[in-house]
Amino acid sequence: MLLKKHWILIILLILISPLFGVVLADMVGYHEPLDVAAEKLGLKDISDEINWSPFYDYSVPGLDPITGYIVSGFIGVGIIYLIGSLIQRIAGKKR
Amino acid sequence: MFYVNFTNFVNDKYLYGALFIVKRGTSMHIPDGYLDSTWSIATYIVSATYIGYAIKKAEITKNLERLSLLTVLAAGIFAAQMLNWPLPGGTSLHFVGGALAGILLGPLFGSLTLALVVTIQCLVFHDGGITALGANILNMAIIDVLVGYTMYKIVLKALGPSTKTRFIGGFIGGWLGITLAGIACGVEIGLSPSFPYGVYITVPVMGLWHLALGVIEGIITGMVVSYLSMKNPDIIFSER
Repeated sequence: MLLKKHWILIILLILISPLFGVVLADMVGYHEPLDVAAEKLGLKDISDEINWSPFYDYSVPGLDPITGYIVSGFIGVGIIYLIGSLIQRIAGKKR
Repeated sequence: MFYVNFTNFVNDKYLYGALFIVKRGTSMHIPDGYLDSTWSIATYIVSATYIGYAIKKAEITKNLERLSLLTVLAAGIFAAQMLNWPLPGGTSLHFVGGALAGILLGPLFGSLTLALVVTIQCLVFHDGGITALGANILNMAIIDVLVGYTMYKIVLKALGPSTKTRFIGGFIGGWLGITLAGIACGVEIGLSPSFPYGVYITVPVMGLWHLALGVIEGIITGMVVSYLSMKNPDIIFSER
């Protein structure tokens, strides 16, 4: 399997992800004008009110948005890798 | 542009509603506050039942190689979804990957892959609401995966396996998968009394928007599948 090559590609994707998720989003004004439209309608996204995660919206407390976005990417991929490895180990033992 | 065209046909209320749905819909992650409790519970039950069935039927202990690819693919889809292409006007577009997972890993492992991604996005990054997790899994990990897989199999059966037909199968699977997932999303929020617009607005808006932007999902899916079929055909488990 060519899995090692794929992990390298995933790391590269995470490293460039802030270009799209943060930099370009700021450039084209991603949060406007539709949030304004929503407010006019009285629609309410209550995510902020019931937030439980310190990594809300792929941010990391204390880090700037770009670094936080990259670190969030590695956190997410790291958790997926840990869960996958754990299941593989358990499944391997049950085999 | 989309905004300008709409102003000719609808009043402000519907315009704002439609645009707001589009904004939330293209990311396909329904946030908290959009689904009422009935839909929230119903979609949790459907998704939990199917994912439970998939875990049981997938025979994970006998498919360690596929499990290994599931981990890599889930990580890849998670990273790809972070490449959020903002579009002028306030909306955005990102690859979802449900059809790709279904085509590469088959429907059961494909659904487990997306369910893992969507659950981590929700629990760790609050991307998609906890009350909407059942609906988000239903749309992205079940509907998108099953439609993508089914269309790919139909195309390959009709046209025979080749690099070209794999691209066509991946394209149609990716395109229709994301479109039907978008329509399902429109039904769920449109039928929720807490959301101020009915299905007669949410379904056409979500369906048409995903039909248009889903072309890109289809192209990426088709390209990845046809590329992998040349470089490493063994990786396409749905053809084994």
